[in-house]
Amino acid sequence: MTIIPPYLQKGDTIGITCPAGFMAAEKAQTCIDTLHEWGYNVMVGKTLGSSSANYFSGTDEERADEMQAMLDDDSINAILCGRGGYGLGRIIDQLDFDLFKKKPKWIIGFSDITVLHEHIYANYKIAALHAPMAAAFNDGGAENEFIQSLKNALEGKKAKYECAVHEYNRRGEAVGELVGGNLTLVSHLIGTSSDIKTKGRILFLEDTGELLYKIDRMLYQLKRSGKLQKLAGLIIGGFSDMSDTERPFGKTAYEIVQDIVKEYDYPVCYNFPVSHSKENYALKVGVGYKLKVGKNRVVLEE
Amino acid sequence: MNRKHFFSSLLAAGAAIPALGAALTDDTENALIIPRYLKAGDVIGITSCAGYITIQDIQPAMQQMEAWGFKIRVGNTIGKRDFTFGGTDDERAADFQQMLDDDDVKAIMCARGGYGAVRIIDKLNFSRLQSHPKWIIGFSDITVIHSHLNRNYGIASVHSKMCNSFPDDWSKAEPAQIETILSIKLALQGEKMKYNAVPNQQNKPGVGEGVLVGGNLKTLESLAGSKSDIITKGKILFVEDTGEYMYSIDRMFWGLKRTGKLANLKGLVVGGFKVKPDDSPDDAFGRTLQDIVLEKIKEYNYPVCFDFPVGHQKNNYALKCGVRHRLEVKEDEVSLKEIYNDDKKLK
Repeated sequence: MTIIPPYLQKGDTIGITCPAGFMAAEKAQTCIDTLHEWGYNVMVGKTLGSSSANYFSGTDEERADEMQAMLDDDSINAILCGRGGYGLGRIIDQLDFDLFKKKPKWIIGFSDITVLHEHIYANYKIAALHAPMAAAFNDGGAENEFIQSLKNALEGKKAKYECAVHEYNRRGEAVGELVGGNLTLVSHLIGTSSDIKTKGRILFLEDTGELLYKIDRMLYQLKRSGKLQKLAGLIIGGFSDMSDTERPFGKTAYEIVQDIVKEYDYPVCYNFPVSHSKENYALKVGVGYKLKVGKNRVVLEE
Repeated sequence: MNRKHFFSSLLAAGAAIPALGAALTDDTENALIIPRYLKAGDVIGITSCAGYITIQDIQPAMQQMEAWGFKIRVGNTIGKRDFTFGGTDDERAADFQQMLDDDDVKAIMCARGGYGAVRIIDKLNFSRLQSHPKWIIGFSDITVIHSHLNRNYGIASVHSKMCNSFPDDWSKAEPAQIETILSIKLALQGEKMKYNAVPNQQNKPGVGEGVLVGGNLKTLESLAGSKSDIITKGKILFVEDTGEYMYSIDRMFWGLKRTGKLANLKGLVVGGFKVKPDDSPDDAFGRTLQDIVLEKIKEYNYPVCFDFPVGHQKNNYALKCGVRHRLEVKEDEVSLKEIYNDDKKLK
């Protein structure tokens, strides 16, 4: 059984850190204000709005130290990653999860944060929250159902998400632990100590800004490393901003997926609201869900 | 009997190496299989196992290889097209399979890279290749095949330019183009390859000997966890890439490290890396390729060289994957040479 970190109570503290790319402090202000409104204290790490002049929010040491401090600090009840980008892979092996293992807390984020989610599930069987990060609160986002789904998840409310059917869906029902995240990172982690097992589980995948042939190649890697064979179900989220080569690939991202899973018979749904766009429900990685891909609707229920 | 010596003496006699049967799971002491080298009149098959190419596009390669004394067999995927691919998966697999199984074809040159080899690799049957090894030639996406052959069968192959890199007009070609194309001929004829690289100040000096494996870094990463994934322990690894962002190159080197591929090397050869420019100055990665590589291998002692003439560039010489090499990295000289048939090894 997966270990579920304690849900939050009013007055609990959420730490915000940027373990990957740089983020200006003002871009996280609405998020901070909203978390206050939800009744939480917020502890902002130095990596948010740091003086870093390059791509990262700080040096490897600064980013690792801050994540480590938040993992170890008992007064921090959850850690929200300010943004993704790239950088967790550089520090993951420097982090020490000994205290975190004894006192698990929710780690929130997506995209590059997939590294952390997979790592703690693969090694410690601790659940994590694949959910919108700080910038998603801006421009009225704080009011939308996706940010609300994060609020509900933190409060311990069981999620039940519904979405429209897609013509490529394969109908059926599946029950299993939910694993996955960003396809680029799920494939990148194969063969490392952060690699997840997918057998009997519901896998969800999303990606953004990739060439179509690379999506195909990554899915072939998943397939050839045995990750697609024995799934309970497959949830395909947004594949936004796909680009193509000069000679067109000849398939959309969803057609690529459809082709690659045609030999299996588990349920598959497409265009599920988990993505780099606004549509991005909070999902508890490692927690058991029921997926129903029906004729008229798709339901994912904890 | 020492297998290595046995094969060496067979090679010295010019004999083909028989198949070994079972696939190799741990090839740290890999029994190397070196296909028979080519002689005048031998047939080289040309096939598209990845991207699409026209018959016109392979004319310069055909003419040149015919001028070298080889016969050319044009596969039926040449000129075929399924969007980006040189035919459907089934067509590409069938063409490649036919050439693997036809004993008259003594070497197979992949017409070009692109993308597609991984889509057909599991459709191919290598049993005839095991009993009758032949050279398979290519790079970039063809790294899939090199890795697969090394991991599963220990069969050597040639990492080199392909049909789409032969100059249209040999008389107007640059020296580097001529030399690199000629290196394919020399490799196929059994010449012991020896290359020098311009010393880079950030090289890590030292000497290492081992089987050469490697190729396109992105392709190697995409094979991790699959049955085509290379084992690098005790080997010399070479890598090159093109069109990737610096952060992505960093992530791929972490991938090599975190999948254990950097820990027990005999040497690391870093070829050309054409880096995709950052989208904005704010995205500046703040590290050079050398920084990226050196921070990953700082705890290891094997030699490392940069700027080796292999990659998506004019300076891309033929390398024999799966063959033992000696890498010497000195302050004023860098060399990589074949040592499989070294007399000293025979004694």
